Amino acid sequence: NNYVTAMDEAATSENYEDDDIFAEETRAQLKLIKVNDQVRRLQTIIRDRNTSRSEFVFSSDRLIRLVIEEGLNLLPYKPHTVTTPSNTEYNGIKFDRGNCGVSIIRSDTQGEAMEQGLRDSCRSIRIGKILIQTDDESNQAKVFYAKLPKDIAQRNVLLMYPILSSGNTAVKAIEVLEEHGVSDKRIILLTLFTTPDGADTVLLKYPRIRMLSTEVDGVVPNHFVQKYFGTD
Amino acid sequence: MNGPTKERRLSSRSNSGEAEDKVGATDLGRRKRNASVSEPISVIRTSKRTIYTAGRPPWYNESGEMKEAFIIGLSGGSASGKTTVAEKIIQALDFPWVVLLSMDSFYKVLTHEQHETAERNEYNFDHVDAFDFDLCCETLRKLKQGRSVEIPMYDFTTHSRKKQTKQLYGANVVIFEGIMSFVRPELRELMDMKVFVDADSDERLARRLRRDITLRGRNLQGVLHQYNKFVKPAFEQFIEPTLQYADIVVPRGGSNEVAIDLIAQHVHTQLETVKKSLRKHNLAIAHTGQPLPSTLHVLESSKQVQGIHTILRNRDTNRDDFVFYSKRLLRLLFEFALSLLPHQTHIVETPQSTKYEGRKFSGTGLCGMSILRAGETMEPALFSVTKDIRLGKILIQTNARTEEPELHYIRVPRKISEDHVILMDATVATGAAAMMAIRVLLDHDVKEENILLVSLLMAETGVHSVAYAFPKVQIVTTAVDTHLNEHYHIIPGFGNFGDRYFGTE
Repeated sequence: NNYVTAMDEAATSENYEDDDIFAEETRAQLKLIKVNDQVRRLQTIIRDRNTSRSEFVFSSDRLIRLVIEEGLNLLPYKPHTVTTPSNTEYNGIKFDRGNCGVSIIRSDTQGEAMEQGLRDSCRSIRIGKILIQTDDESNQAKVFYAKLPKDIAQRNVLLMYPILSSGNTAVKAIEVLEEHGVSDKRIILLTLFTTPDGADTVLLKYPRIRMLSTEVDGVVPNHFVQKYFGTD
Repeated sequence: MNGPTKERRLSSRSNSGEAEDKVGATDLGRRKRNASVSEPISVIRTSKRTIYTAGRPPWYNESGEMKEAFIIGLSGGSASGKTTVAEKIIQALDFPWVVLLSMDSFYKVLTHEQHETAERNEYNFDHVDAFDFDLCCETLRKLKQGRSVEIPMYDFTTHSRKKQTKQLYGANVVIFEGIMSFVRPELRELMDMKVFVDADSDERLARRLRRDITLRGRNLQGVLHQYNKFVKPAFEQFIEPTLQYADIVVPRGGSNEVAIDLIAQHVHTQLETVKKSLRKHNLAIAHTGQPLPSTLHVLESSKQVQGIHTILRNRDTNRDDFVFYSKRLLRLLFEFALSLLPHQTHIVETPQSTKYEGRKFSGTGLCGMSILRAGETMEPALFSVTKDIRLGKILIQTNARTEEPELHYIRVPRKISEDHVILMDATVATGAAAMMAIRVLLDHDVKEENILLVSLLMAETGVHSVAYAFPKVQIVTTAVDTHLNEHYHIIPGFGNFGDRYFGTE
């Protein structure tokens, strides 16, 4: 089990006030980053309707970075010993190669807001994109475009989707990944805010996916991407 | 027409080096009347800043307690040669961080009526009532305690204080001069040594005539009128009686070389006896084996943090990677440090028309302060998690001979006394530099509990030293290593951070 303890602590504390908000299986897969006063402050700025756009983008980028960093903690690593400049041995670790990011884009509501955070943490990581749109006639989520690394089947995938509401779009994106040979146990879904229903929709269908968020609430900041890209 | 008194002070004001906004340096060739700091022998000056190559050694002991500044009071009649004596003392002391403070800075702000009287040359500036003794006393007391002070700048055209003040900090010796400086007992009590410059009254009048007529183009009648009406009575009524309080009387003013040598020798002796060495060695051995303090906060050692540490500690890591990964770690460190600040409940309304119970920072303000050079590398990461933060800098270097830290340069944001301050240094080994920087912040009236010392890597020794001297300072880092080697380097450590970051190894 690669989950760090802090997330488990957080998961059992203030963030899950109501035990019944989602299925038991979901609780095992969904982890929240540790919500300290600063994280709560960032969430507050994002939630506040009176926040200016520059403040919104600045705070969102900080929160995104924290989620990305926590997501990277879930990737595989091996022990690694190095020699320091003072000629002393240091027993550390080294992360394995073979990871990639994939951002889900919904042309109407969500964009690739989290990509830069991943790029800033991992300079040369490969990043794919999946474009999903709601079909006007059937009212169903439909995949319009997917550009993924060729060898994605051998990689661990950090799937990025800032606001998880119904969960239908994320499910659609995971279907695309499966079609490209990615096993669900290799997928880490990174979100900023999620509804309990949305988390259930994704995680009951894919019980081996690991999912990370900062807050589970029935009301999510649906204005996120519009405000982030200034299209509101 | 300007009265003689006013003109005299006008000219002295214009001489008083307004360009120096911080720890200023006296140009000994010029006449100084307001406040200034003596110029050390080795000094590098750019247009914006002054760097002392003779730094200030610690002015506090290993408990962080202060040594008081040595205060020399200097009094004497008008035109008796006080300034010359003060300058000669500074030269003879040959000692950095000497402050010259003039009582002229503490003239009272005049009312409209008084201002008009002064315009007519009828206001008595040579009277005890003309001085703001309360402010003067408070300022001198703070200087004695080693704290930063704001010296008012008196505007003799409007007889009020200018908006800007002059900040003085870091005095080991303060020379306080003024005609009335011995008048009040509370001022006298602050002085470690009182020097009265005595000159024959005929000679003082002659000097005054020469100065005011030949140098300032005034007429004989005006000068004599002012002398008889104000200057002479003031000397007899207020100044001459205070001669009894003097420890040393210097006849013939600045030309009395013997007296000045004696004064300088005495001050040196006094400073030597109170000097306490803050050798790193003393700091290092004092706390071995103690449990780490509760004010220490270590960033959670997640797998990414461990992975980044492995890269930074590896001596084969190239500079590109070293810079990149240290920035990543620093950002996590600052996010962690910010979470330790006090917060309060903050309820906001969302675009979804719901109320959201959140949090916000409950302090007054936030400042950053980097300890040069390595602390400067932390600034970009701080900027990436805080908007519009005010930033100060402090240069502390270790004297290779004494192995003591020395303060060379400071720039502190104004009005920081209520702020929380994030003090940054890349590494804390013995804690000597961090302690000096904390002491500087406390001297600027920052509250100890509002200081966060943030560092990438610390040694146990440094943590103990800082926590022992300043138990309320929050200490924040990503890892604490156990050892220091004989060169006071952290083991295992990651080498000299500044050198590896800047490529100067």
